[in-house]
Amino acid sequence: MMMASMVANGNRDGQALVLTGVDPETCMIVFKNHWAQVVKILEKHDPLRTTNHLASAVQNYVEHMLFLLMEEDAGQAGAMGPILEFVVMENVMERLFLWSLRRQFTDDMKLEQLKMYEMIVGQARQPLLHHKPVLRPLMMLLSSCSGTPTPRVEAELVLLLNQLCCVLAKDPSVLELFFHTSEDQGATNFLIFSLLIPFIHREGQVGQQARDALLLIMSLSAENQRVAQHIAENTYFCPVLATGLSGLYSSLPTKLEVSSEEWHCLHREDWLQMPALVQFLNSLEFCNAVIQVAHPSIRDQLVNYIYNGFLVPVLAPALHKLTLEEVMTTTAYLDLFLRSVSEPALLQTFLTFILLHRHENVHILDTLVSRVNTPFQLGTVSLALFRTLIGLYCEDVMLQLILRYLVPCNHMMLSQRRVVKERDCYSVSAAKILALTPSCCSPEHSPPPLRQLDSILWSKGNESKTEESCLEDGSGHSCIIGSEIYLDVSYLHYLYDARLGISSCIRACRVWSAPYDGEDPPPDEYQASALEEAGASRGRRAQMVNPKGAHPHPRPRPPCQTAGPAPMNQLELEWDDSYDAGPPANAETTAAERPAQPLAPEPPKHIQALRRTATMLVKGSYIEESDFQDDVMVYNLVAKKDVRDTLDGRRSSQETESKGSETESQLNDNGHGFADSSREVQEVPLSNGLSLPLQRATVEVGSDTERSKEVKENIADHNSKVQSPTATDIGDELVAQYEELIRTLGGGEVGAGTEGREPFQNPIVTPTEEDEMDFGSFSVDTPEVDKHAPSLFGTKLRSGSARSQPLPFTGPFVSVLLSRLENMLENSVHVNLLVTGILAQLAAYPQPLLRSFLLNTNMVFQPSVRSLYQVLASLKNQIEQLASTRKDFPELITSAQHCLLARESSLIGHGKTMVYLNTQ
Amino acid sequence: INPYDYEEQSVQQIAEQQQRASPSRPSFGKKQLPTIPKNTAPITKPASPATTTQSINGTHASYGPFYLEYSLLAEFTLVIKQKLPGIYVQPSYKSALMWFGVIFIRHGLYQDGVFKFTVYIPDNYPDGECPRVVFDIPVFHPLVDPVSGELDVRRAFTKWRRNHNHIWQVLMYARTVFYKINTMEPLNPEAAVLYDKDVQLFKSKVVESVKLCNSHLFDQPKIDDPYAISFSPWNPAVHDEAKERMFTHKRRPEDHHKGLQVSGLSWVKPGSTQPFSKDENSQQS
Repeated sequence: MMMASMVANGNRDGQALVLTGVDPETCMIVFKNHWAQVVKILEKHDPLRTTNHLASAVQNYVEHMLFLLMEEDAGQAGAMGPILEFVVMENVMERLFLWSLRRQFTDDMKLEQLKMYEMIVGQARQPLLHHKPVLRPLMMLLSSCSGTPTPRVEAELVLLLNQLCCVLAKDPSVLELFFHTSEDQGATNFLIFSLLIPFIHREGQVGQQARDALLLIMSLSAENQRVAQHIAENTYFCPVLATGLSGLYSSLPTKLEVSSEEWHCLHREDWLQMPALVQFLNSLEFCNAVIQVAHPSIRDQLVNYIYNGFLVPVLAPALHKLTLEEVMTTTAYLDLFLRSVSEPALLQTFLTFILLHRHENVHILDTLVSRVNTPFQLGTVSLALFRTLIGLYCEDVMLQLILRYLVPCNHMMLSQRRVVKERDCYSVSAAKILALTPSCCSPEHSPPPLRQLDSILWSKGNESKTEESCLEDGSGHSCIIGSEIYLDVSYLHYLYDARLGISSCIRACRVWSAPYDGEDPPPDEYQASALEEAGASRGRRAQMVNPKGAHPHPRPRPPCQTAGPAPMNQLELEWDDSYDAGPPANAETTAAERPAQPLAPEPPKHIQALRRTATMLVKGSYIEESDFQDDVMVYNLVAKKDVRDTLDGRRSSQETESKGSETESQLNDNGHGFADSSREVQEVPLSNGLSLPLQRATVEVGSDTERSKEVKENIADHNSKVQSPTATDIGDELVAQYEELIRTLGGGEVGAGTEGREPFQNPIVTPTEEDEMDFGSFSVDTPEVDKHAPSLFGTKLRSGSARSQPLPFTGPFVSVLLSRLENMLENSVHVNLLVTGILAQLAAYPQPLLRSFLLNTNMVFQPSVRSLYQVLASLKNQIEQLASTRKDFPELITSAQHCLLARESSLIGHGKTMVYLNTQ
Repeated sequence: INPYDYEEQSVQQIAEQQQRASPSRPSFGKKQLPTIPKNTAPITKPASPATTTQSINGTHASYGPFYLEYSLLAEFTLVIKQKLPGIYVQPSYKSALMWFGVIFIRHGLYQDGVFKFTVYIPDNYPDGECPRVVFDIPVFHPLVDPVSGELDVRRAFTKWRRNHNHIWQVLMYARTVFYKINTMEPLNPEAAVLYDKDVQLFKSKVVESVKLCNSHLFDQPKIDDPYAISFSPWNPAVHDEAKERMFTHKRRPEDHHKGLQVSGLSWVKPGSTQPFSKDENSQQS
């Protein structure tokens, strides 16, 4: 063995430098001698009385010894080298540790010990940690550091932990030893890991090293079930990580200093200026990385904690803060987070939150959509958020945002369904849309190119010159025959960009579940079985929820589904109404802004949304902001234009209806009934302030009696009993339902506090809020009511007769977007760039349903459906009108073109820096 | 030489040409919008899409060329989708209205024939007459003009109907004539008469014609254009790699798709219209 070692040593160039001419035997002798000296001191002297002189003598010896140990090669066939063998036999490490422990175990001592291990762990040539006499004192040392170490110790500790993790990553067999050793100690399993957790959210190098080390362990967990199980079940890793996000979030500024009106999202150079935000993003990035590499059980647990520990309790309320500035800031944060997250599982968590979570009974998505129409910075930031969302190419997002309103094909005439898939090979629609170009902007009126560019010349070819002669005219790129048209070469850049956008979108959408071509998903089936489908999906969800025992850490799901193991009964499942928001019970929420009255062909939803926003802004808590008064006025000015046609009639109906009974007011309108959302969960308040979710056939209720009839029917449905609508006493039923609810939910883990129980905690209607609700839809006088009368009866609806008249509506988002587009002349340039940018994003989507709705000008839509073409036509008229009233219009156009070109060049030159542009 | 070798070569040529030409694309300066091929007669009627648009909308004639170019791109895409056996086409570099093509006849009277041709599309497409097909070398065939080499396409497309007629149909027709001989109203009466009266002599003339065409295969392209189809003898240094690429190409799309980080997202269960309806197991990315 000696010989072998010697040979090995001799062959090593590196070693030759350090221990030239020193053979292992000599090393061993030196080591033993040193140790003998050390032992003498250790045994003769009381550790507490050891003089500094002696202590430093020990230290010197030990340093030499460790150096020798470090440089020793493993013996043959992986056997220990002689020095290591000696170390193990004599229990050198433990004796040294105990000695220093018995002295004053100061930070200096700790540091010394930590450095010692750091050296041998990091640089030893043979595996040391496999040996208990080495590992055990190390674990004791680590335990002793687990308190609240000082920064100096912290740095050294984390460095050592990081090194240990590197060793683990290289040699997972050590892992088992770490577990066993911990068990011997009776301490927490896997000490290394536990020690790292407190540093997860730490700033600077220590935090980074800790996170790197943790990531190494996370990668290990993907392979090692035991590690995964331990982390998921015995450590607070996931909760710490998720709640840490909440903590870091709370230290973010609640209001951003907005530099200019054009600002609409947090760019890198923005957040780099905000240390708190940098720190948050670091932690978010770490979560992202953990989810990427960790075992699925850890991943699932983490996303679940992020959902229930950060998104729902922290971000949701933050999105509903009282002032516009705060809400805007939160929206900008959310946008930034979405852009920072890349792991599908984490993105799914965020998107589930946005699409399915309800805050005070309104889906986050609906709230966000409604805010697009606020004329303040909030609207702009919300637009930017949707740009991000749409840019994810996520089917679920697009489904909830737009496609689900198009799938039933109600927005078009029946005969048009076959047109959906048609392609416009000859650019007929393009010609029609381009014909809407205002005359002042047509190419003929364009000024000569402002930049020196290659221009493309198109020959109409009505001269008889030959191809060759015109192509080879020396310039190499122009063709001049007869009348020619100058086109900026940027047209080709435009084509290039468009092609890039379209092809990447098409590629991305390959993972989607359906082509959305008017046949798949089948529109008729979707309509006819809308109710069943809703039920079926709830059933599916229930299946997902039920085997909770098997999945201790469920993925995030709509909060309405309780996370508890309580058995689901039908009633509870009704809570998961994934179609739409419940009633906008709380006037503070933007629920009131939701585009409402989908059943009514007039007025358009976006107008109502505007009006509701206005109402909310005036009556709601925003008014608490003193500086908001001006904003309200601005808002009202903007809103007036859209509202003037409809406001009066609706206001009067609202007034009459606000005198309705208590039940009526509590059964408030959630303001929709979109084509596919015929069932709503309604909260029926009970006398004790608790509320009971009821499924309603429709939101449109004509009168008290009808309403209570309906309530009864629904209750009957819930119990799967066949009941006459008038037979049962409603009170009994409610009590029965209530008790059932309490039993199912209360028996579970009420204390766990998922928002599924929100309705219990927050009696949703208070007298003050009543005033702010919109009762328009309850009006007996409004013409819409007649249309909806059939659907008041659940049985009728079930038979399908009520659905024979599909309700054309393309969804709130499209409404809001088109509304903003139509207001183009009032918008700032940046808003317009966002709006047109989003439209361009949408236009790149390959789904025939979406493409035909936006771009096929030959499609015949239902009269109540507004198309992009109509809005553009209206815009053209507005612009022509403006052009005719302003004498200096041509000059304005020219300067605007200069501005836009300058902006483009500056974008090319300076990255994202925007140049402020004045609209007019 | 085995005709399939030609075929392989030609495909490689196309592939190479595309590769060669593609990098130069982003420099937009040289890009030309469709111009009029020289063989096209001067337009005498104002029926071009541009003028039509102009007459309708007054101001927006200028987009006409782009609609035309888009239509032609759409047609080309359709051709590719059809995967016509033995036919390869490529629009010219200089004009989208001129396409270069080659057709490989794999059996029948014209077996082993490799015929290069050019497609000329009228600039008022799709409202004008049908595209013309002109063979580089006039093939001995009843429907091919013995002087100009033009194939009688019009008999099959008496009236070109937009939305119904497509250029791939013309190419399909150009292939069919070599398998199913029609002697009615011939452009080459000699060939028609021989076919009807003396098939043996017709056959030998065809063989001669095929030989002639194939002997000119390596000639410089008739029209000087970077995208013109040109043949060259097999050169392992050049072609082996291209051949390798061709044979691995089939597998590439899926590999590419798999390897690529999924850019799109979906948690919708097929058949459902509910977000996040996929089973948890299938969600694992």
